[in-house]
Amino acid sequence: MIEVKSISKSFDNIKAVQQISFNVKKGQIFGFLGPNGAGKSTTINMLNTLLEPDQGSIKIDGIDLSEDHEQCKLNIGVVPQEIALYDDLSAFENLKFWGGLYQIPKNELKERAEWAIKIVGLEDRKKDAVKTYSGGMKRRVNIAAAILHKPKILLLDEPTVGVDPQSRNHIFETIEQLNSEGMTIIYTTHYMEEAERLCDEIAIIDLGKIIAIGEIEELRKISGVRDKLIIHTSDKQEIEYECESIGSEISGILENHKSNGNEILSIDTHKANLESIFLKLTGKQLRD
Amino acid sequence: MYKLFIKDLKLFFIDKKAVMLTFLLPIIIISLFAFAFGGLGGKRTSQPIDLLVSDLDQSASSQKIIAKLDSLEGLGIKIKEIEWAKDQVIKGNYVGVLVFNKGFDESLKNNEPLKYELLYDEAREMEVGMLQPVLIGNLMESVGKESITQNISSYMDDKFPGMSSIIKDQIISDVTAEGGSASFEANTELTMTSLVGEEEESSNLGLVQAVAGTAILMLLFSVSAMAAVILEEKENGTLKRLLYSPITANDILYGKMLIAFFISLLQLTIMFVFAWLAFGLKLFVNPLALALVIIATAFAVSGFGMFLASISKTRQQAAGLSMLIILTMSAIGGSMVPLYIMPAIMKKIAIISVNYWGIQAFYDIFWRELPTIDILPKIGVLIGIGIVMTLISIPLFKKNIIKLV
Repeated sequence: MIEVKSISKSFDNIKAVQQISFNVKKGQIFGFLGPNGAGKSTTINMLNTLLEPDQGSIKIDGIDLSEDHEQCKLNIGVVPQEIALYDDLSAFENLKFWGGLYQIPKNELKERAEWAIKIVGLEDRKKDAVKTYSGGMKRRVNIAAAILHKPKILLLDEPTVGVDPQSRNHIFETIEQLNSEGMTIIYTTHYMEEAERLCDEIAIIDLGKIIAIGEIEELRKISGVRDKLIIHTSDKQEIEYECESIGSEISGILENHKSNGNEILSIDTHKANLESIFLKLTGKQLRD
Repeated sequence: MYKLFIKDLKLFFIDKKAVMLTFLLPIIIISLFAFAFGGLGGKRTSQPIDLLVSDLDQSASSQKIIAKLDSLEGLGIKIKEIEWAKDQVIKGNYVGVLVFNKGFDESLKNNEPLKYELLYDEAREMEVGMLQPVLIGNLMESVGKESITQNISSYMDDKFPGMSSIIKDQIISDVTAEGGSASFEANTELTMTSLVGEEEESSNLGLVQAVAGTAILMLLFSVSAMAAVILEEKENGTLKRLLYSPITANDILYGKMLIAFFISLLQLTIMFVFAWLAFGLKLFVNPLALALVIIATAFAVSGFGMFLASISKTRQQAAGLSMLIILTMSAIGGSMVPLYIMPAIMKKIAIISVNYWGIQAFYDIFWRELPTIDILPKIGVLIGIGIVMTLISIPLFKKNIIKLV
């Protein structure tokens, strides 16, 4: 669905994105994980035609982006990082305006706006001015405005920044629903748990380069990060075990301890997660 | 307290807009008004006032007086045919026309009220005011001398038919050198008639000036505020979202210009309708010309608003620049102080402002009551301003706004 080959983008002397390549399959949720300033938004802005790559090529659904901007724009829906809505208009008025820019026939527009507002679960507040919404509700309308033209691909640029847990869950459910209906999703975030929950495949990006790409299991293998099991014994010892899978190996480890006569006071487990994978691959915490 | 003072002082000077508005704007406005009202050290050299003269009498005495007037430094005399001259005065191209009517020479000889008059444009009150003493003083002198010369000459011819012309000229010269014109003062009175705007109270110049001047000034402010919405869209992210959609940067700019144009049309129309209802402005004196001038002014002003928005990178910058440029332009263009009370040099400078063309076009409709065809050049200039401003705004908009999204 998306083929990106060796794209780069610089702003003056700053290399924001360097030689990035990746493919996104149809119906996939593809995640871009990286700290602020890693190059995620620049990549998203090249995918949505706002920026032109200095070099490299992008194909959306087989169409070269540099050759047919307009068709590519119709295939893509973008949820920007900012809440890009008109505060004084109602959610419904906002949706009708934004939808109107995408060649949706007038008689269908109302229907589409109803559909989009229902997807994000705000039917009962649709006539209220956006300025009366909570941050989380605005984020949901922000998503609704991007799906009105039923794009094949939805790009979401950190859509949960500053959102309360309830709205965050609602956003996740919305994304999962859209994906289940066949929409391909590209999702940028610097929250590990979001990437872990939503993404089929993740590209870890830092300093404008993709460091690793693959499913979480693949990333774990690439990084060499393993699950950890820490046993605290009665003689105040702390024994650490690295294992491929805690679930399958824990019984053997505990048996071994018993036979050595060590009394176990407590056990800590640390599953290999994106946090540890990111730390291993980049040498820094994600929120640095 | 001292630390707070130093901190605020630093912050103030870091904010270039605040510095500009605090110091530069008042300096510009003061300079303009000082210049307009003659405050530049009292060493201004006055520009000659162009005066048309129509000599219907074609007598030796009228030509002699015209030659005398032409020799004056403060006047630029142009002898023209009466109808053409009157038309030019009505159109506001000249201050007035001094007409020597038929029988002028006779009236001079017979010591009757003189048959000459000044037909003038009241909208150029300041220049007429300056012209009046120059003209009357010199006319009194020239006419007086001419009258004495003729009277003595005919007396001599009658009583001393054999007197040589040398002696006669000597006597006349001696008499006229002694200020003999004083006794003819009553008969040298110059009739002054305004060619435009005296028929009805409701078309008075002050009202036209107040409505047109204020309308364009307020229009510039409201349009620049509307154009600055584009910068607000940039700041709150909706501009970026617009660019994600299939519309182009030009579509966005034209869309903003269209709303600015529409609101301008509405604002101008409401202002003139209000002036009609509240003050009895003769709104329907030339509806076609009024519609065209409103459209052209709205177009020029909305183009100007887009230009202001396009050269700014933030809303604050746009607000500061708008304040500076609009107030300066309004001061020189006649929105704040009527151009008819300003010196000639200010009228020449005024043509660089959009206010000038709009106000003058409204003068042409309500004050001069010119036919539409004669107002078309000003309408053309206004549309030209709109086109030029739009053409300049497009690349600036792309450079300053789209690129920075």
